[in-house]
Amino acid sequence: MAIRNSITVKAVSLFLLLSLVIVTVVHFYSFSVSRKIVVDLAEKNSRAIAGNVSYRITSKFKPIETVVLNLAIALENPHLSAEAITNLSKMIVTRNENIFGSAVAFEPYGMFSDQLYFSPYSFKKDGVALTKNLGSVDYRYFHLDWYQLPKQLGKPVWTEPYFDTGGGDILMSTFSVPFYREVEGVKVFAGVVTADISLVGLQDYVSEIRLYDSGYAALLSGNGLFLYHPNGELVLNETIFSVAERIEDSELWEIGRDAITGGSDFIERISFRDGRQSFMYYRPLEIGGWSVFFLFPKEEVLKEITTMARRTLGINIIGFIALALAIIGLTKRFTRPLINLSQSANKISEGNLDTVIPTLESTDELGQLTVAFSEMQRSLKHHIKELTDTTAHRERIESELRIARNIQMSILPKLFPPFPERKEFDIYAMIRPAREIGGDLYDFFFIDKHRFCFLIGDVSDKGVPAAFFMAVTKTLLKVMAEQEPDPGAILMRVNDDLAEGNESCMFVTLFIGILDLRTGSTLVGNAGHNPPVLLNRDGVDFLPCLNEPLAGAIGDLTYTTSTIELVPGDTLILYTDGVTEAMDNEKNLYSDERLIEQIGTELDRHPEQIVGDIEQSVHDFAAGAEQSDDITVLCLRFNETSHE
Amino acid sequence: MEFVHKQQGQYHVLGATGRLDVATASHFEKEITACFAEGQTNVVIDMSGVEYISSAGLRGILVAAKGAKARSGEIRFCCLSGMVSEIFKISGFGKMFEIFDSIEDAVS
Repeated sequence: MAIRNSITVKAVSLFLLLSLVIVTVVHFYSFSVSRKIVVDLAEKNSRAIAGNVSYRITSKFKPIETVVLNLAIALENPHLSAEAITNLSKMIVTRNENIFGSAVAFEPYGMFSDQLYFSPYSFKKDGVALTKNLGSVDYRYFHLDWYQLPKQLGKPVWTEPYFDTGGGDILMSTFSVPFYREVEGVKVFAGVVTADISLVGLQDYVSEIRLYDSGYAALLSGNGLFLYHPNGELVLNETIFSVAERIEDSELWEIGRDAITGGSDFIERISFRDGRQSFMYYRPLEIGGWSVFFLFPKEEVLKEITTMARRTLGINIIGFIALALAIIGLTKRFTRPLINLSQSANKISEGNLDTVIPTLESTDELGQLTVAFSEMQRSLKHHIKELTDTTAHRERIESELRIARNIQMSILPKLFPPFPERKEFDIYAMIRPAREIGGDLYDFFFIDKHRFCFLIGDVSDKGVPAAFFMAVTKTLLKVMAEQEPDPGAILMRVNDDLAEGNESCMFVTLFIGILDLRTGSTLVGNAGHNPPVLLNRDGVDFLPCLNEPLAGAIGDLTYTTSTIELVPGDTLILYTDGVTEAMDNEKNLYSDERLIEQIGTELDRHPEQIVGDIEQSVHDFAAGAEQSDDITVLCLRFNETSHE
Repeated sequence: MEFVHKQQGQYHVLGATGRLDVATASHFEKEITACFAEGQTNVVIDMSGVEYISSAGLRGILVAAKGAKARSGEIRFCCLSGMVSEIFKISGFGKMFEIFDSIEDAVS
């Protein structure tokens, strides 16, 4: 049903669409906010852990740096003996657990003017500190990194970590500090003091750092060499740059570059290790230009909020379905009475007026509508009954009127030619009644053998009274004509009879002619009727108007009789104002002039043709406009005088 | 229709304007009858503003005239124009009523 579809579906879809929008917006907002919070938290967490790692590493290696730096200061004393210097190197090895070896390497001929190499080197071997002198033709230490870098840079340097193969296969890095001596007031580079530091603990420490489920930490040297990475193959074998080159990852290359120059960042990228979307954090350590990297999978970071989002989504979907069901239910409940009402209305519209309209207790709009609708139904029933009665009544009246009309028309002579044996004249008449019963009349009859009476009339009113008036007039005229064959006298007597008791002043216009067939002499009388048209050899024109009053309204009037002499061939055309006052759709009148023009001057036409032409002309002129008055035309042609 | 009443000497002049047809005839008739009911005996109807008259209009005039006659009153018409004049002529009203060309002629 249309109403159900439209209201329920519209309401439900509107509510649900709205809820869907709200729920979706809330869902995505809360998800994005929580995600941001969690990611921020992950970044803070990374920073905190990295800070801690940095602190732990720094606190482990800074003291060692300090020891070596202090030794470098001590070595500026030019009076230290070779033995004392050797002892110093031996002492720091002995006293520092993390220092595996230590060398004090002088510039060529720096200690003794006759000795190219002087570089006592103390190292641990089986828990005992031993000392040897570095420097030989095979080991020209002046050219090695641990010597050259601090000399050239003029500052302490951590060398690239390396595996010590001589000392016990441990990861080491050498911290080299340049020392200077004063020669003739100028500080001159004198050599470097080094400490070989074990990085074993460092790798273990970094490897133990865990972030989320599978996150890990990595350590990079100042040149980007992997000092620690869960993938052991990379450690000390590859730099971040070589990896970036191999996997063609320019972003990784940039990250490496930023990291070794002391940069720090928290970024999102795909791990080159396992291809998972991950978060990466890196920051420099304060030791050796090293950097620490953290990498942890994004999904692990977002695991909880993803779970939360899924659950929220589930709750939302369930809520949404519940809401939909509730709205459908409620809407149906609200529209149920409307649907019932609509069904009742449909039945009523199909014509079943006795349909029971559902009653509603409520006084809301729907209740009011139902009440109004019942009232409408009641009123409709009442009116239809009334209308049915009225229609029946009207049909009866109309039927009676139709019969009356038929009777009225039947009293007019309709048979043509009426007197086929009389060759002296031809006569033809037609009446086209208007829709409403009217009062036009015509008649013709012989008064005696030689005198032929013809007449036309128009009763002023319409309807049954006019029809009666017309019938009475026609009867009176015939009676009076036979008593006294003089039009003036006929009119006077008919007028008096009609005027008697005629309170409503109904009247009739009449034209009467009495043609003496022996002579063509015609007596005429006119009671306010349109002057007839005479068509003869002189042309066509209206008869002179006698200006005598219309008949039937007021008694005691005088009517005169005048005479027209007709010669054979002359034709008289009588008509009512239904012809000359016929209107077209623009309310233009057919007019006297048009009538004259239509009749024309041609003599040898039968009355039937003339009447038919006028009727057709009026019909064409009206062009479908409603006919408001009876149209009546009577035409008489005088052919010849009687021979007797 | 619209009507204007004025008194000129012993004549009551009723100026009528509009179409005198089946819709207005009874109004017209009542307007005239009312004049006689108020005691007027000589009423002049100025038809200069009447542009059309139908048979119902004629009948209204006849009813009013009959009423006037019963009260020994008289109705005169003046200032007929065009079609109205023609109708008056054909219907013989000229022989039933006194018709004048102007108000002055009618009231003198």
